[in-house]
Amino acid sequence: MRLHPRLFALVAGLALSHAALATELPQRWVSAGGALSEWVSVLGAESKLVGVDTTSQHPESLKALPSIGYQRQLSAEGILSLRPQILVGTEEMGPPQVLEQIRKAGVPVEMFSAQADLSALQGNLQHLGKLLGREEQAATLFQTYQQQLEEQQGLVRQARAKQSSPGVLLLLGHAGGKPLIAGKDTAADWLLTLAGGHNLATHSGYKPFSVEALAGLNPEVLVFADRSLTGDAARQALMKENPILASTRAAKAGQIFELDPTLLVGGLGPRLPQALKQLASEFYPAAAVTP
Amino acid sequence: MTTLVKPRTLFIGLGLFCLLATWLSLALGPVSLPLLDTLRAALRLAGVPLPAEGLEQAELILGQIRLPRTLLGLAVGGVLALSGVAMQGLFRNPLADPGLVGVSSGAALGAAIAIVGGAAFGGLPDAWSPYLLSVCAFLGGLGVTALVYRLGRRNGQTHVAIMLLAGIALTALASSAVGLFTYLADDATLRTLTFWNLGSLNGASYARLWPLLLVTVAVALWLPRRAKALNALLLGESEASHLGIDVEGLKRELVLCTALGVGAAVAAAGMIGFVGLVVPHLVRLLAGPDHRVLLPASILAGASLLLFADLVARLALAPAELPIGIVTAFLGAPFFLYLLLRGRT
Repeated sequence: MRLHPRLFALVAGLALSHAALATELPQRWVSAGGALSEWVSVLGAESKLVGVDTTSQHPESLKALPSIGYQRQLSAEGILSLRPQILVGTEEMGPPQVLEQIRKAGVPVEMFSAQADLSALQGNLQHLGKLLGREEQAATLFQTYQQQLEEQQGLVRQARAKQSSPGVLLLLGHAGGKPLIAGKDTAADWLLTLAGGHNLATHSGYKPFSVEALAGLNPEVLVFADRSLTGDAARQALMKENPILASTRAAKAGQIFELDPTLLVGGLGPRLPQALKQLASEFYPAAAVTP
Repeated sequence: MTTLVKPRTLFIGLGLFCLLATWLSLALGPVSLPLLDTLRAALRLAGVPLPAEGLEQAELILGQIRLPRTLLGLAVGGVLALSGVAMQGLFRNPLADPGLVGVSSGAALGAAIAIVGGAAFGGLPDAWSPYLLSVCAFLGGLGVTALVYRLGRRNGQTHVAIMLLAGIALTALASSAVGLFTYLADDATLRTLTFWNLGSLNGASYARLWPLLLVTVAVALWLPRRAKALNALLLGESEASHLGIDVEGLKRELVLCTALGVGAAVAAAGMIGFVGLVVPHLVRLLAGPDHRVLLPASILAGASLLLFADLVARLALAPAELPIGIVTAFLGAPFFLYLLLRGRT
C-alpha cells in the first residue's frame, strides 16, 4: 500500500511530539464510560470533560456535553472533532478499529476495568488519579470507599444475627413492562449480595421470566430498576403490568424498592455505597441497620 | 416502457453524481477541515508532491478515516445494488431483494455465532474478533445461499419458485437461530449484535476493505457480460432457452454473484437494507428495463446513494453516529411504498 511509509513517518512524528509533551497532563477529556465520567467529576475534573458517551448520565450536568454516542459504537472522526487530548473508557468501549484510528491520530486511549470488584476499582482510581495529577485525592477516595463498604458489611453481619437474609429478586424493566430478572454474574447480583440479600434467581445474566416462575419464587423483597420511570409512577406501572406480583410476600409486606438502573452499568461508581446502605436498610427493617 | 433519459445522458449524469458523492464524502465530516487543506491532502494522497507542512491532520483524517470509509461505501453500495438487479432478473419480479436467497439471514446467523460464541469462549483477542466476525458472516451467507440453491434443484434444473420458498423457509429458520443466540447473549453482546444488524461504515480500515473491493470488482465486471442473457430471461425461462441462452448456467452465476457480493458487503459493513431493492427500481424508472444499461447504472447509483446515506449517518448526530441501516431504511421504505401505491390510481 502506497500510503504506509508516509503515514508511518507522520504517526511517528505525532508520537514524538506527544512524548515531548508527556509531562503535561491532558486537559481535554472524552469519557466513554458512565462510572468513569462520574469518578472524573468526583475528582473535581468535570470541567476537563469535552464529550461523554450515552452511558454517562451522572451527574446531571454531563448531559449538557456533546454526546459521542454509545460506548460500543464510537465514531473516530466524531471524537476527533472534539479535539480531545485523551479518550478514557472501559474495556467495553469499541469497536477496536475505531480506537486504533483514534490512537493513530495521536490521541491516547486509556482503558479501564468495568469489573464490579474492589481491586478493579482501586486500579481504575489510581490510573485516573495519575492522569489527572490528583493521585493523593484518588487514593483517599478509594480508602473512604473501601471503608464504607467494610462498615456496610459489618452492619449486614450484625443484622443477619437478628433476621435471616431475605430472598430478593431484582427486576430491570422499561415502564414496568416485561421486566428482566437479574441473575448471577451481574452487577445487580453483586449489589444484592453485598446489601445482605439472597438472590433467588440462579440463571446467569439478565433474562425474562414467566409470571408463574416469578410467583413461584415468591420473593420477600422486590427491587426494581426502571429505565424510563421513577418513584411511585414506576412502582404503579410495575404492579399494573405484572399483576401476579401482588400475590408475592414482597407485595403483601410492602417490601418493593427502587434502584437507579444507571448504578448497574460500567463497574463500581461513586454513588454505590449510598445505594448499598439504602438497600440494606430496606432488606433489614427490623434490625435497624442504619446507625 | 418508455425511457425518460437516454443511456448516454444517464451515464454522464450518474458518473457526475457519483463523483460529487465521493468528493462530499471525502470533504465533509464531524472534523471540519478547510476545503483547500482537504484538496491538498487528497492530491498528496494521490501521489502529487506537495509540501506536507500544516497538512498532518487533514492527511490523517482523509487517508485513515474518510478514504477507506468512502471506498467501503462505494463498494458496498455498488455491489448491493448490482445484486438487487441480479435477483430481480432471476426471479423476474421487481420486488425481489438479495435477502430472498437467504444470503442476508445466513450472514446474520454467522455474525451471531461469531459475536455470541466469541463472547462465550472468553472473548477473542481484540485484533482478531472483527475479522472472525467478517469471515463468519461471509461463510454464513454463502452457506445458506448454497443450501437454498441446492433445495431448488430438481432433475438437473433449478426451479425458481421452489428456490424462493426454500429461501423464505431458511430465512425463517436462520432468524429463529439468531433469536436463540439473542436470548443466550449477555447484555453487552446483545448490544453488539443489535448494532451489527443495523450496519455501519464506521471504522473502515484498508485491511478489511481489500477482500470486498476484489469481490466487488469481479462481480461488477462479470455481471454486465450477462446483460443480454438477463434481457432474454425477462421473456420467460423457456423463451430464453429457445433464444440459445444457457438458462441453468445463468441462474447459477446469478446466485453465486449475489452470494459472493452481498456476503462480502455484509461481512464488511453489517446489514444495510433497501439499497438492493430500491436502487434498481430507481434506475429502471429513469432508463427502462434494459439490463445493458441497468446493470452498470445501478452500480453507480447504488454507490452514490449509499455515500449520501452515510453522510447523513455521520453528520446528523455528530460527534455521535447513526447506524447507516437506519438511514437507508428510513429513506428507502417510504420510496418503496410510493412505488407500490403509484400504480393504484
